[in-house]
Amino acid sequence: MYKLYLEKNITSKDLLEKILKENNIHDRIIYNEYGKPYLKNNAIYFNISHSGIYTALVIADTEVGIDIEKIQMPKNALLHVCTEEERKLINNAEDFTLMWVKKESYVKYLGIGISYGLKNVDTIKIKDFIIKKVGNYYVSIYGKNLK
Amino acid sequence: MKEEIISLIAEVLEIPKDTINEKTNLIKDLDVESLDLVDLVAAFEEKYNIEILDKDIKNLQTVNDIIKYIESKNV
Repeated sequence: MYKLYLEKNITSKDLLEKILKENNIHDRIIYNEYGKPYLKNNAIYFNISHSGIYTALVIADTEVGIDIEKIQMPKNALLHVCTEEERKLINNAEDFTLMWVKKESYVKYLGIGISYGLKNVDTIKIKDFIIKKVGNYYVSIYGKNLK
Repeated sequence: MKEEIISLIAEVLEIPKDTINEKTNLIKDLDVESLDLVDLVAAFEEKYNIEILDKDIKNLQTVNDIIKYIESKNV
């Protein structure tokens, strides 16, 4: 089970505070060694991402990662981020951004972040990303058995 | 080396060069997001023909961190 909250012009901190309050959750935020935030006393998982005007927050009953990104093709990042097989599938900014948000949501699900190694996330083999397109932005959510 | 790195950061992030110095923190001072940071890392890799591991990126917080890191690769 998961719920996505997507709002414009709000900081990550403010959106989290607002949604926790709305859900009547009063808890402390703790962080793992890589900086992923968790609730101290609730068996509820969350993850936050910010890009441009949007902040995206996902709440789930299992480990979860989220990433939102404005559709773009950076000048240099392609070789660093994508495997040779993945690069064959990228023809434009939409393809690149979709692959990027998948990789980011996966490393954030793991709780390790970029340190895991972006090329180690094989977006051809890994399935079950939940993808949403909002205007000029892609959102990817990753978790096991999310519905 | 220092001037060259600052110029490259300004070019990739599309910001004026005079807004950056050795003490500038990319995330705290320039609000650099992860995709821009990775794009910058990729630009350094190409320019200096080095490999920057993703696990090292979290240590590249200030311009000075970047200069020291690239120098440590014997560029």
